[in-house]
Amino acid sequence: MTELGIVKLHEMLKNGEITSDDLIKESLIKSHKLNETCNAFVTIIDDAKSNEVTDNLLSGIPYGIKDNYSTKGILSTGSSNTLKDYIPFFDATAVANLKASGAVGVNKTAMDEFGMGGTGTTAHTGIIRNPWDLSRSCAGSSSGSAAAVAAGIYPYALGSDTGDSIRKPAAFCGIVGYKPTYGMISRYGLFPFASSLDTCGVLTRSVEDAAIVVDAMKGQDQKDATSWDSRNIHLYESLNGNVKGKKLFFIKEIVDIVNYPNATEALIKHLENFHKSLDILSSSGVEIDEVSIDKELLKVIPSVYVCLSCAEATSNLSNMTGIIFGPRGQGDNVFDMMKDHRTKGFSPLIKRRFVIGSYILQKENQERYFVGAQKARRLIVDKMKELFKTYNALILPVSTGPAPLLNTEKDQLNDDDTLLLEEHLQIGNFGGFPSITIPNGLINNLPVGINITGNCKDDVSVLNIAYALESKMNYKDMVVKDE
Amino acid sequence: MKFTSELVDELANKLLIGLSKEENDLVLREFELIDKSMQVIANMKNIENVEPMTHALDDTEIILREDTAEESVPIEEILANCDNTEDREIVVPKVV
Repeated sequence: MTELGIVKLHEMLKNGEITSDDLIKESLIKSHKLNETCNAFVTIIDDAKSNEVTDNLLSGIPYGIKDNYSTKGILSTGSSNTLKDYIPFFDATAVANLKASGAVGVNKTAMDEFGMGGTGTTAHTGIIRNPWDLSRSCAGSSSGSAAAVAAGIYPYALGSDTGDSIRKPAAFCGIVGYKPTYGMISRYGLFPFASSLDTCGVLTRSVEDAAIVVDAMKGQDQKDATSWDSRNIHLYESLNGNVKGKKLFFIKEIVDIVNYPNATEALIKHLENFHKSLDILSSSGVEIDEVSIDKELLKVIPSVYVCLSCAEATSNLSNMTGIIFGPRGQGDNVFDMMKDHRTKGFSPLIKRRFVIGSYILQKENQERYFVGAQKARRLIVDKMKELFKTYNALILPVSTGPAPLLNTEKDQLNDDDTLLLEEHLQIGNFGGFPSITIPNGLINNLPVGINITGNCKDDVSVLNIAYALESKMNYKDMVVKDE
Repeated sequence: MKFTSELVDELANKLLIGLSKEENDLVLREFELIDKSMQVIANMKNIENVEPMTHALDDTEIILREDTAEESVPIEEILANCDNTEDREIVVPKVV
């Protein structure tokens, strides 16, 4: 039953075909089973209690919570050894909002440590595997959430997205990943990574479910000054699939196969598949243009992201000392204790990111690197906003094809031709733009995804375009079946 | 060379983080790549006149909330996550 969507589950709960208790039990049993193969969870909440079924669509239905959301009385580690025993004394606002809707959290999903990775290989509980093929990556950082939703543990799990951490795992796991406009959902209680880019969101198996869940999570919060009043936005009610007359663009420099002289067979198929999706939208009355953008501007996107995210992370995570929370390090003085805690606690990947962040923030380097990256961010965002005056959204393929094998996954900067195809989703975080990935095909029996990104606070258009495309394809509600 | 492993270790030390040789090498390689891109940014036309973008949204409105007293979290709950406490205090080695 947990493989069904929210509306259907709600209907069955209301008419008494199933109970909330049935759903919670099924979800917990499946969680234990999935954890054996995929390492998807840090914590399975075995004593999760069923909830009363009300008129709220989410009431009584189980869901997963990424482990960087604070959950009162429940272990919240951010998949880091530095917080391996940390139990928050409060709920993140998004979690509290879902609780008020009657939703039942049944597990905390594993992730790249503190959200700082894109491979699902840096969680302190082990490598997170893709349920479609256990030798492959889920991408990251919302890896456990993506694996669990793809495996049908529940209809949805929470994610967070700083560069593409919801939208890329969704693509690799054949599901929907929605990052709303920045500030639509309060970040209070979300472990910070890079505050100017961090966004809460959700992973589901349909656009409809994504709209329902974000409706419940969102809202202005006194505890997050960057949250804004979205009470006039009703995502679920606004889904009508009417996209006639909408205008989309894609970026030639990212999509044109001539940019990839060494394209793999998977990349060729992925790009062909992307164009098929465009044809589907065109036949629904959407106008789609190819737009050319200065390659020099596009090329700096990954470095701008690294500079800004590393600098902000270095500052945000300087409170991880093992003194006031987290396991104490060894040492004769406070500094040695902190150094021992941080050296042993952080994975190599995030240590590297902190060092880069520290370099960027040194007084003598700030202007060239940090401020330079902030200026480039502005140029990239201004270009997008200029295009959003003419177009409702940007549409692009996600990554270079299906999920890569775990032993080939990199989490380092490189200067490959395909870097931009891997990293362009960061544009969504630079501008705070609403952005959604949906599955749009299978290549060698593995899912691939397509992304739609629109202007700030125009989440309704973005969701409607995704909803219309989803309805014309056969990849909605995909669940990985056991062999 | 602009970036050296000594520089990387010095930065890591400032952050109270120890790096292995392998970790140090990877940072060095990434520095070179970032620096290359930053040169591209520095060479962009009129970049000096661009206002740095520090937040995702430009229209964030800061509203002060009402100055009303709220119940605070009991200190025992907050200290429960600390490995070494005494009464209402956190215990650390002598600092001065």
